[in-house]
Amino acid sequence: MVRFAIDRTVSAVVVLFVLLLLIFTVSRAGGADPVRGYLGANASAEAVAAARERLGLDQPLFVQFGQYLTGLTQGDLGLSLSTRRPVSEELAQRIPATAELALWAIVFALILAVVFAGAYSLRGKVAAVIRFVLFSAASAPAFLLATAGVLLLFAQLGWLPASGRTSYGPSDGMTGLYVLDGILAGNPAYAWDAFQHVLLPALAAAIGPGVAIARVLADGISGSLKSGYAQTARSLGESESTIVRRHALRNASSPALTLLGVQIGMMLSSLVVVEQIFSWNGLGQYLTSAISAADLNAVAAISLVLGGLYILINTLVDIVLAIVDPRVRLT
Amino acid sequence: MSVATLDNLSIHYETPLRTVTAVDQVSLVVEPGQCLGLVGESGSGKSTIGLALQGLLTKDTTARATGHLTVGDRVLSPTDNSSWEGIRGSKVTTVFQDPMTSLDPTMTIGHMLGRVTRSSQDSLRWLEEVEIRSPRTVLKAYPHQLSGGMRQRVMIALALARRPALLIADEPTTALDVGVQAQILKLLTRERDSLGCGVLFITHDLGVARAMCDDIAVMRNGRVIERGTSDRIFDAPSEPYTQRLIASRLTLNVERAIPLGMPESSVIASMGEALRERGLDADSVTERWERRELTWTEFAPPTSVAQTPALTLRGVSKAFRSGSMFGAKKQVLNDVDLIVAHGQSVALVGESGSGKSTILRIAAGLERADAGEVSVAGSIGSGVQVVFQDAGISLTPWLTVSQLLMERLANAPQTRHLDQAAHTASARLALERVALDPSVLSARASQLSGGQKQRVAIARAIVVPPTVLLCDEPTSALDVSVASIVLNLLNLLRHELGMSILFVTHDLAAARIIADRVDIISNGRIIESVPAEDIRAVESEYGRRLLDAVLA
Repeated sequence: MVRFAIDRTVSAVVVLFVLLLLIFTVSRAGGADPVRGYLGANASAEAVAAARERLGLDQPLFVQFGQYLTGLTQGDLGLSLSTRRPVSEELAQRIPATAELALWAIVFALILAVVFAGAYSLRGKVAAVIRFVLFSAASAPAFLLATAGVLLLFAQLGWLPASGRTSYGPSDGMTGLYVLDGILAGNPAYAWDAFQHVLLPALAAAIGPGVAIARVLADGISGSLKSGYAQTARSLGESESTIVRRHALRNASSPALTLLGVQIGMMLSSLVVVEQIFSWNGLGQYLTSAISAADLNAVAAISLVLGGLYILINTLVDIVLAIVDPRVRLT
Repeated sequence: MSVATLDNLSIHYETPLRTVTAVDQVSLVVEPGQCLGLVGESGSGKSTIGLALQGLLTKDTTARATGHLTVGDRVLSPTDNSSWEGIRGSKVTTVFQDPMTSLDPTMTIGHMLGRVTRSSQDSLRWLEEVEIRSPRTVLKAYPHQLSGGMRQRVMIALALARRPALLIADEPTTALDVGVQAQILKLLTRERDSLGCGVLFITHDLGVARAMCDDIAVMRNGRVIERGTSDRIFDAPSEPYTQRLIASRLTLNVERAIPLGMPESSVIASMGEALRERGLDADSVTERWERRELTWTEFAPPTSVAQTPALTLRGVSKAFRSGSMFGAKKQVLNDVDLIVAHGQSVALVGESGSGKSTILRIAAGLERADAGEVSVAGSIGSGVQVVFQDAGISLTPWLTVSQLLMERLANAPQTRHLDQAAHTASARLALERVALDPSVLSARASQLSGGQKQRVAIARAIVVPPTVLLCDEPTSALDVSVASIVLNLLNLLRHELGMSILFVTHDLAAARIIADRVDIISNGRIIESVPAEDIRAVESEYGRRLLDAVLA
């Protein structure tokens, strides 16, 4: 098991390096000139050349890559040309915001998946209607769900806030995850307020993945219930509910977990849009403004964080898969 | 008191279109310590009776039952789940057919057994009871780490640990290698004697039934058509169907030179056609088959045999990597030499994992050898064609039989240039040769029976006659009577078309019928090669073991 985890981690590091190389190459080979973006369109040719030299952009690409790597190991991601602050500082501020949103979205997606899987397994007309509604919701892009959520729950009913992370101002807690900070600081009102703020955007991002995982989970459970080992369990006198709990769920969770990894990746990209709609000051917002300003250092760093997160999550999924299914680890 | 009785039990399945009668007024009694064999071909209703006796039909909302069923002193309803509490899993337990799928892959053996025995000492004792070596290790193992035979032993331990009054054995050895089969049957017999439980032994295999059962009930179309002691059923069967079943059974005593079993009208039609084509007398085929005067050599064309071999494998080796890219390599074939002469039929016999199927796949070009030479003479046909074990999955489900055959004709170099009419004629001829009616041309695989599907697969393989027909256990998934039809057809086609055959199987009896020469393979090496008529003279220890395993 430990060996398996090490194997997976090593290959994750390799993938991460390739990703880094790719991001770097694509961002430098693109047509946009970061120095022009930095100095403005009216800067003199001398000023542009001087800035180019100062920023190290006149060096050959592989030297730049080497410098970038060296900087990376020291936590230096370069200067954000659009905000004129170090990229690492910008990230430090925004990563917790996106992390909080993503974590809640994953939690909601998992809860929705189990609930919806139950709804899928039901028979009859009501269940058919539920399936239809779910299927429609899963087909809608996250921004549509987000907008609809804002219109209904904020504008019409006024139940939930529709922008920002809190009504009180930034938390000074250590995690930067406001709900958690509120709980840790013994301030339930602050935590509850932050939770209300995160509810709508997280749900908007979670519904699609939740329904997709639910379908796979429901299929897996119904397949498991028809399997030989379910029949064996029945012949040994186990009840249907025991069979679902002890045999079917665990066997059905492998494909669902695999899909979870993929879905989380897609969810990360939908967060970029969701953050815009809810004025959520996270990586997504930063990415949008960085792209329009040709802020290559920022774009590269954000891609690296999101890509690294994706690799991390899928590595975790692989390891959890191996824990759930002994055939993966013991071959 | 008897452990289980069925009294006038009928079971119907009500589908939206029609009502299917699976079991038709069956009455049976199983006594303590008795092994009752329920023998029949697929669709005979034997498995439905097995499900009914476990109360597992209650899951199926389309099932309706009439008549009575008792286990011990309890009167039970086959379709009402509530009455089965305390019966299923304690008074009645089951050993299922396929040990590969009947154990939960995510649970250790110890966990599974523990749920039944409630103590690890008892679990250990039961593993020892079913003769599992190093039971302590096995307790911690997962099913996929055990061999098929081991898994079936675990399954038996699970079923017996509750000390049931009735054990249902539903084809418990069908999915196992022949050698393992005999051990499992011995184990079941011993356990029955020591526990004194009644056994309902469901099987399609008459040889297994005879070895295992005191009494046998023969089922057909949902009815018990004949019953009696094993010896009586075998020595003096009274029903024609039973006689036919017994006649089509493969043993090492069956005459090789003549068709197998009793005359079968569909095969006779193909034979008559073959003889007529050659200008020979085709009228008395049935009579001559009955008088055992019809020999295969009559169907052979009068041409001389070519000198070059049809299929040559020289020094072929192959290794597979297990698991991921970094997994260990396992040597599957080791320096294999195999020559099949023109018109010759060679059987390759071994147990699962011996490498026999890999040889076939390499000969078919589906797998590449790591080392060695493979050559196929392409003079009379288009090289090789394969008939696989499971015709159900080798036929594309959305294509009709006609499309399957036409596709082959449109792509083969010999027939590519011919027009549509010639293709249609070839397709019809191929179906005739495998004794199928032209009406199946418009059918899809799902509308055909197992035997029909296998014959379509053969028709597709011979519609453009290949030099070598490669057969991978083509009869092992078929009922005995259907298997004998397929073997007869293969023999007929081989003589009629002058094809060579490489026949891969685990069954020495089938090998002996189809082949001129039998090569025995073990651990990736061909260890012995004997003429089929002298099959009893095998010398290697492994060969003798395979021979002993042919129960008869």
